[in-house]
Amino acid sequence: MSVVARGWPGNAVSIRPQTAVEGTAWSAWLRRPRFLGAVLLVILAGVHHFADTPLQSWLRNAWFDAYQAMMPRSRVSAPAVIVAVDEKSLAQLGQWPWPRTLVARVFERLAEYRPLAVGVDVIFAEPDRLSPGAIAELHPQIGSALALQLKSLLSNDEVLAAAIKRLPVVLGVAGTYERAEGAVPRSAASFRLQGDPLPILRHFPSALASTETIDAAATSRGLLNADVRHGVVRRVPLLAAVANTPFPSLSLETLRVGVREAAFVIRTGAHGIESIEIGDARIRPDADGHIWVRFGPHDPARFVSAADVLAGTVDAERIAGKLVLFGGTGMGLVDLQATPLGDHIYGIEVHAQVLENIFDGNLLGRPRWARWAETALIVVLGALLVFAVPALSPARSSLILGAATGGLLLLGMALYRYTGVLFDAAAPVIDLNLVFGGLLRTTLAESARQRERLQRELQAEREAAARMAGELEAARRVQIGMLPVPALAFGDERRFDLHASMEPAREVGGDLYDFYMIGKSRLFFMVGDVSGKGMPASIFMALSKALYKSAALRSLPDLGRTMAEANVEITRENPELLFVTLVACMLDVETGELAYCNAGHEPPQQIGAGGGSVRQLKAAGPPLCTLENYPYAAAHARMARGESLILVSDGVAEAMNSAGELFGRARLDRLLAKMPAGLSAAEQVEAVNDEVRRFSAGAEMADDVTVLVVRWARA
Amino acid sequence: MQVSAVRYSDVLVVAVKGRIDYMNAEEFKAALLPHLVNCAAGRDQIVLDLSRLEYVSSAGLRVLMIAAKEVRPRKGRLVAVSLQPVVREIFEISRFTLVFDVFDSVQDALRALSPKAAAMTHTG
Repeated sequence: MSVVARGWPGNAVSIRPQTAVEGTAWSAWLRRPRFLGAVLLVILAGVHHFADTPLQSWLRNAWFDAYQAMMPRSRVSAPAVIVAVDEKSLAQLGQWPWPRTLVARVFERLAEYRPLAVGVDVIFAEPDRLSPGAIAELHPQIGSALALQLKSLLSNDEVLAAAIKRLPVVLGVAGTYERAEGAVPRSAASFRLQGDPLPILRHFPSALASTETIDAAATSRGLLNADVRHGVVRRVPLLAAVANTPFPSLSLETLRVGVREAAFVIRTGAHGIESIEIGDARIRPDADGHIWVRFGPHDPARFVSAADVLAGTVDAERIAGKLVLFGGTGMGLVDLQATPLGDHIYGIEVHAQVLENIFDGNLLGRPRWARWAETALIVVLGALLVFAVPALSPARSSLILGAATGGLLLLGMALYRYTGVLFDAAAPVIDLNLVFGGLLRTTLAESARQRERLQRELQAEREAAARMAGELEAARRVQIGMLPVPALAFGDERRFDLHASMEPAREVGGDLYDFYMIGKSRLFFMVGDVSGKGMPASIFMALSKALYKSAALRSLPDLGRTMAEANVEITRENPELLFVTLVACMLDVETGELAYCNAGHEPPQQIGAGGGSVRQLKAAGPPLCTLENYPYAAAHARMARGESLILVSDGVAEAMNSAGELFGRARLDRLLAKMPAGLSAAEQVEAVNDEVRRFSAGAEMADDVTVLVVRWARA
Repeated sequence: MQVSAVRYSDVLVVAVKGRIDYMNAEEFKAALLPHLVNCAAGRDQIVLDLSRLEYVSSAGLRVLMIAAKEVRPRKGRLVAVSLQPVVREIFEISRFTLVFDVFDSVQDALRALSPKAAAMTHTG
């Protein structure tokens, strides 16, 4: 049926407008999940690889901060100790800034502890106003003698310079963007360059240093500038350039001075700085000379109080042979920095942690391949999603996404934990989720659209089928309409009583019956059944009935000749190779003489006038269309008054109940044997139909059920 | 519905098993007709072994009729054997007994069609 319906014109009409609604080819492409997913994937991978928007770097930094928060560094070695101008120092020795003579005393005591080097996180930028000479200028009324005497004394700065000279001291300087007056400070380090790092380094035109007196006493100088992004210290420069000269950071320079190396070896490749070497130590910073600090939490054990140093109460081992960082932590000189761990530590502790990172060799880094790897993973996993999502159920594709997400996060954490490589897992995860979302949305929309289209097609098919069924219904009506109605044919006939019924099967069957008078006294009647169902059977049934009637009108009253001629003619018109069983009878309604000719049909049965006794009229030939030129011959019998003759189609015996049992000929025979006397033809027909209906009890009729009863003479 | 064939010399015994009705008649036709291609005078004779055919509707009879018509012009012989009571009744009422020669057993049919084939079944 569906094949027929598909070719039905109504179907095509109902589908065509839909293509118009779907719009242009371009928008149709965009609705294809895979195409859209691939486009989205290319865009996202491109953005990840080539662009660096604030949003991306914010996300990346947040992700790297999360690594640090999840896996904070624990302190292994303690190469650096911080001598802090802390609350205790301020309480004991007075407010900051201290007179430089006091600072000098701290340095003198520090020298006795024999540190490797001292990095100073303080800039003594202006001359000390508490110097004796400065006091003379501050108080003109003290008289010239005293003033001269004061001015002849060493200035506080000179005192500090003298103290500084006793130690390897690296003084902090701050890179500035304004050109300062006077000479640009330089570090004492020498550089052996392989490649030119200057184009890559952060440039400061100048730097703010301590006063000339103090500065001249220092062993070297280091930059204090940290790289603060969005309020959090993540990366610090190990190297920058001041006035076109490389300049090490305070921590790096303190380290160099501490290990007594004269020079840094800086290797620069096509993509930036590759390594910074101090003696045997090799540091691989990012291309721009910065390092990512792997932070540990604030640790009081890194600190000793300046007051305790001055008092000489510090354990000698805490300072001897160590790198010392000198700076302020007390209130009023707070230099608090936020770290990725989410806490705030003193700026000077950042320098200490950098030194610990360098010593322990657990610096973080984001090598150049990290971004390539991330982009490659976005492309590969994204492509997997593009192929899988439209093909799988949402649950299964979610599983793939979950596995990819989990795998990326684990990979990122493992790289961080074991290699210090900062792998940005967040970007692939976000991109894959975006691709997945896009794919899922379009896939669901697409399948919804497919469902809708299928529904429309199904509807169209149903309509076509209904139309087809309408045709069959029409064929059925034509077929039934061809069957004569007894009441109309023999309305006032008193010599016999004839009734016939055909209960049609669900599908068009091929039963037929016919009756008419031959001359004044001969009643012709027949029942036939075309093998097969549907339109072919229906058409063949109509054809057979017409051909039979024309043969009958030509050759009756010779029933045998009629049958033989009908056989030849119907066989000739039989492309489907169907066959017809048919029994024809002719009753002389005056005498009761009966001629019959059976072509493979159910035998007619004669029912006695008093009911009960049944006789089968058994003579028969093969069905029409099976054997050409078969010499059919009529057989003869007699009817007594009151007797009936019943003709049925095989639909009676082969009626089936819902259990699959057949009604059977034996049941029919029993029914006929019990038929009460005196029933009209119509009542007898109804008795058979009732019994068949009762038996099949609502099961669909597989075949037409035809019953024709002729009772000779009315009751 | 199943159709299977066994050859005895120039006789092909085609066994039909199950029910044949309107629903599977076309299938039966497709299964049966290939066995008939060599059925002709002097060549194959066909014995339809219907001992395991439970029921045949008029649609099934039609296929048997088509089979008979197929071999008739070539003077091939197509006979039916071992009809169960239900099928025998259907054959008798529809007078398909006139369309087919019907034998009680394969042996009877073989004896009638081909002494050579009958001898084969005796020897083994």
